[in-house]
Amino acid sequence: MTRRSLAFDVVIGAAVFVVLALVPLVFPSKALIDFVIRFSAYALFATSLNFLVGYGGMVSFGHGMFFGLGAYAFALLMQRTGMPIPAAFAITLVICAALGVVIGAICVRLKEIYFAFLTLAFQMLLYSLIILWVPLTGGDQGLRGGIPRPPFLGINLANQTHLYLVSCTLMIIGMILMHHLLQTPFGYTLRMIRDNAARANFLGIAVFRVRLLAFVMAGIFAGAGGVIMSLFVSGAYPEFAYWTISGEGIFIIMLGGLSTFLGPAVGTVILLVLNDFVTRHTEYYGLTLGIIILVFALGLRRGLLDVLVDLWDRRTALSAAGAKAGNVSKASL
Amino acid sequence: MTHARRNRFDRRTLLKGAAASTVGMLAAPMVARSENKSIKIGMSTILSGRVAQLGTSSRNAVMMEVDKINAGGGLAGRQIEMVIRDSKGQPQEAARLSRELVNSDGCEILIDAEASSGAFAVHEVARDLGMLTVHTNSETSSLSADPKLRLPNTFRICRQGVHDCIVGGAYAAKVAKTKNLTKWMTTSPDYAYGRDTTAEYMSYVKYFNPDVEVVGEAWPKLFQPDYTEVLTKILQTKPQALYSCLWGGDVTAFIDQGNIYALFGQVETFAVNMADYTALTAVKNLPKGIHSGNRYIKTFPNTPENAAWADAYRAKYNEYPTNWAWENATAVHFIAAAAKKANSTDGAKLAEVMKGLTIASPFGADGNVTLRAEDQTLVGYAIGWGMTIPSEPYVVDMTAGDWKQIFELEGEWKKKKNYA
Amino acid sequence: MDLATLATCLSSSACIVTQTTGALIIGMLLFLVAAGLTLIFGVLKVVNFTHGSFYMLGAYFALSIFQHTGSYTLTILGAGVATAIVGLIFERLFISRVYGQNVLMQLLVCYGFVLIFDDLVKIIWGVEFKSMGMPPAFQVPPLFIGGGVVPPFYLFVVGVALVIGLVLWLVIERTRLGKTVRAAAFNPSMVSALGINTGYLYGLVFALGGLLAGFAGALAAPVRSLTPGMGFSILIESFIVTVIGGMGSIVGAFVAALAIGLIRSFGSLGFPLFTDGLMYLFMALVLIARPTGLFGREIV
Repeated sequence: MTRRSLAFDVVIGAAVFVVLALVPLVFPSKALIDFVIRFSAYALFATSLNFLVGYGGMVSFGHGMFFGLGAYAFALLMQRTGMPIPAAFAITLVICAALGVVIGAICVRLKEIYFAFLTLAFQMLLYSLIILWVPLTGGDQGLRGGIPRPPFLGINLANQTHLYLVSCTLMIIGMILMHHLLQTPFGYTLRMIRDNAARANFLGIAVFRVRLLAFVMAGIFAGAGGVIMSLFVSGAYPEFAYWTISGEGIFIIMLGGLSTFLGPAVGTVILLVLNDFVTRHTEYYGLTLGIIILVFALGLRRGLLDVLVDLWDRRTALSAAGAKAGNVSKASL
Repeated sequence: MTHARRNRFDRRTLLKGAAASTVGMLAAPMVARSENKSIKIGMSTILSGRVAQLGTSSRNAVMMEVDKINAGGGLAGRQIEMVIRDSKGQPQEAARLSRELVNSDGCEILIDAEASSGAFAVHEVARDLGMLTVHTNSETSSLSADPKLRLPNTFRICRQGVHDCIVGGAYAAKVAKTKNLTKWMTTSPDYAYGRDTTAEYMSYVKYFNPDVEVVGEAWPKLFQPDYTEVLTKILQTKPQALYSCLWGGDVTAFIDQGNIYALFGQVETFAVNMADYTALTAVKNLPKGIHSGNRYIKTFPNTPENAAWADAYRAKYNEYPTNWAWENATAVHFIAAAAKKANSTDGAKLAEVMKGLTIASPFGADGNVTLRAEDQTLVGYAIGWGMTIPSEPYVVDMTAGDWKQIFELEGEWKKKKNYA
Repeated sequence: MDLATLATCLSSSACIVTQTTGALIIGMLLFLVAAGLTLIFGVLKVVNFTHGSFYMLGAYFALSIFQHTGSYTLTILGAGVATAIVGLIFERLFISRVYGQNVLMQLLVCYGFVLIFDDLVKIIWGVEFKSMGMPPAFQVPPLFIGGGVVPPFYLFVVGVALVIGLVLWLVIERTRLGKTVRAAAFNPSMVSALGINTGYLYGLVFALGGLLAGFAGALAAPVRSLTPGMGFSILIESFIVTVIGGMGSIVGAFVAALAIGLIRSFGSLGFPLFTDGLMYLFMALVLIARPTGLFGREIV
């Protein structure tokens, strides 16, 4: 894929928004609206995780901590202060960034599996804190009683359609921003570090700083996903900060593909559809999901979008120039 | 006869939804449903994972009662169709499923058979969508006691923590006085239910017997497999009596492990969740003389109705009924009674009628149970404590709780918590 | 925080005996599971997320075998062997297909099987929690050693675990087979070039891991509540043990398991609400100080 300008992304984003806005008018299914809202939350989370994993080569097992923190910070701010939603949203993102700086500074030095485990350890520490600090967080029962949603700018988030539109907007803006970041010199430096950190270091790049920045950025977008989820359930529950959320994130990007920007989004759709479909028809969700995972991991061996992109590349390569015998170029990012 | 409706996300459903919603969008907020032959009742519960038994026994009990009602003509003439979904114990799934049950599957009534956080998540959906919602299984008192959470369309039909603790506390205080047990220790799972229940129980023991003193506490994690550090702590502290609200697999593991330390000969043990058939039948070496409250016991209340219900459940499902089973059965009983009284299946009308409704029940302390009007929660159910023995009937010498006393103390408790 | 209780305990020999026995039992069971995990990682570079399920299977096999035979010896052996076979099949049919792939892909295969095993157990044995019960030989009162309370069954378990651990160490360090296994961990292509069938070797390692986990499951079964999904908590703890001890090091797993046992046992006295947190904190500290674990080697 060639570099795209920000303007191009914005145009695409606007078009997607228009389509999504029209969808509930064409298919007025409330389940679909709920689906897209959940999709927005998880897609932001998964794409931000891939920011780290696919583009940064930093496999984090604790990314869910930002999702959970985003949900709790926002819900607490709304419950305790009733401040305007945009203000609470902004403060939540700042809090996620702050946590990202502190934890990232400690973790980002480590390599591979140790980075993964340390991020997991920190996530579980945060989870323990949420469970313990009952007066603030409600403990294991979560923040109950709903969160107040004072209308702002004529938008009332207690109305599911408004929530739908705002979630889509947040998701699209988040995706555009993340994509744009990856197209900047920072993004390419990140990829270079992923491919060969030693070489990048010799070239004089401050590897630590770039990685830390990536960690913080990913945390901010994951927090935004958490905010959408907390609005959806009108509260915040410790499950949002549990390691299973991180696991689902990893699973999503494996399903959709790590090598493309939209892979995680595709993976989110697959997981959510699977989840909704399977729980309807059987109570052996684990068995079904396990078999499907095996099909992906042993059969396809890559995420869905990766497979599709490869097929596409193969077709265009073969048809473009017959002279280039059997040389299939992988999609460069 | 679970009838999980296949609602695949296909064109036909979408077009149907489009047509229906067009009409609905022009109509009143509550989508007017024509008098169908059947009424769909949705149920969100936990059918997989650790606590799967909660869901399976809730479902069993509901289906048994629904079959009886349908055989007798249904709910105000409409046959009940249950739509049961598995939230896997995730609150966001519980929220999503309850929304879907009402919005997409056309359920008019919701039975929320979730546990703690799931119940609160569904509560918010009930606030948003306004359908009649009955919470079973969630024993957290604040769900009904907290006026900030109260809604006209939600009811809690299951036992409540504070009721259990008042009865348990009174019983324990008496035993403590007789056997001079002044040094107590607690061992309960470290989460909201464990903490709140233990605190309330001990406060009532001390209220009835001020000589009692808590000299140590242990807080194992829920589902923690290994209680060694807890048991050694108890042995160090050497209390005379031990309270625990560990439940399910936890209490059986605790008993198994405690046995090899010969704990139960040294300490008088009060385990509120022991008297449940799943725990009683799982433990291979049940020590004699553990005090326990009833979760569900066929012989308490010692009435033919209760025994008959337990036998019917056992015959149909080849397993013993659980605490969750009787609670969900009672929920269905109330819905049926309300429908009969209101001669309608309209959620709002049912809610009106259910407030303050008293029905005959095999699980009632005096043959009846009531949905108290002021906080829409179940009262009058049989609560009692007794001693365990290693074979049928498993619990003997049951002392029943006194509801007059419960009401009085509960009132004070509410005032203290600013719930009144 | 309850440092007073902790202090009183540390000044009482009876308490120290009791708590240390507790620490040993926690640690030894953990060691058996973690040893298999670290072995598999050391030789095959595979993070075996399914290991907790092996433990669970070991416990359930033990339940069934004990119910049918009534012999605890047969139960332990049978459960170990059965789980070893599961491990072997698992490796030969599934894991072998994802060697050399992205570690996430391997993790995914393992996770898929965790889900499948959990549901299979649910289908075969049922969803209610089960109890194996204490074998009659051990239904005896506890011993009093130095004033501390020591249940004979726990002595037995610790003893068996120590023996297994010692045999394992001897096999790996002193036998030709063990040398081959260590060589394969270091340089698989060279071992293969020398004519040794690395495929069988890898299968053996997984079988060994399964054997260890199966033994652990059978040893724990009399004092555990068996339920689908019971493998999970021990999996997390064994991961922590292998990470702290160093991936690939059996000695490291032993030391780390004991450390965790002591932290839990004494930590629950002084920090009753933060015992889990203490464990994670310890792991974080070790990783910050020695990123490859206490006895770990640099991963290439």
